Amino acid sequence: MPKWFQPATLLCAAMFALSPFVIAGAPYESTMGLVQKIFYYHMPSAWMFLTASVVCGIASARFLATSDTRHDRLALAAAEMAVLFGLLTLVTGPLWARKAWGTWWIWDARITSSLVGWMIAWAYLILRQYGGPGSEKLAAGLALFGMANVPFIYVSVNYWRTIHPATTVVPKLPFSMGFPLLFCLAAFLLLMVLLMKLRVRVAEQQARLDAIYLSLDERA
Amino acid sequence: MLLRAIAVVLVLAGQTALLVGQVQPRQQEEFTPIDQLPPQEQLPAAPLLVGAYAFVLLMLFGYLVIVSRRLGVIQREVDRLDNDMRQSGSH
Repeated sequence: MPKWFQPATLLCAAMFALSPFVIAGAPYESTMGLVQKIFYYHMPSAWMFLTASVVCGIASARFLATSDTRHDRLALAAAEMAVLFGLLTLVTGPLWARKAWGTWWIWDARITSSLVGWMIAWAYLILRQYGGPGSEKLAAGLALFGMANVPFIYVSVNYWRTIHPATTVVPKLPFSMGFPLLFCLAAFLLLMVLLMKLRVRVAEQQARLDAIYLSLDERA
Repeated sequence: MLLRAIAVVLVLAGQTALLVGQVQPRQQEEFTPIDQLPPQEQLPAAPLLVGAYAFVLLMLFGYLVIVSRRLGVIQREVDRLDNDMRQSGSH
């Protein structure tokens, strides 16, 4: 692993350990009260889900263009990140919504398109696992659809009727709420980079293992 | 004949729409604010908040453990095969 990995891991662990204290210091939102504090983990999870989907799409496009397996390994790692952070988003959202909106789930454009994006990431991984030879190129094509879905998820609240807040809300947050959000965003981003690096390393070692077995077969 | 058929279809469609209009409850226009929910619908916020944070941290930690173990297993296998190949090459 690179030199920066260990200090970055320590920093990330410290940020996650500190995050409950930073969040506790944020004021209560006037209409939702305590439950609104789910926001500080829900939104960074959602942003990491979208970022991972974009990284997966770009890496897949580069893999399709160059056939360089490094891009393929990055795309695979990013797809796993999209599944992981998408799950966190889709679970924490309903826990917040049940109290704030009085319902666990609504089929509005944002939630539905997020679910679709999450299922595309799952489909990518399932295709990679069970698709057989050549499935990495098919999966790369699928990842492009996952990436195309991201802008739709983001702007959907501005164009379709929903009780999700519009995209203009976050930039207008007061510092007392904006700082904890940025802190958590930084912690989640760092964690996603570290997990992605770790997952890429697994794929690299797996490729090395496959190459060793191949050379042993050729010798035999 | 065609006109009669169209007229029958329109009348039936109108009646169906009337029936559907009577049966369906009025659509809710807005979400219900928390303080206006009936008592049985009101939930304490703390379990939801703690549940959300616990779920996030458990899932992230669980994924980290799974990936680290996978890496450890593959790394050991690579090292073992490397050693075997080196030894067989030296003999």
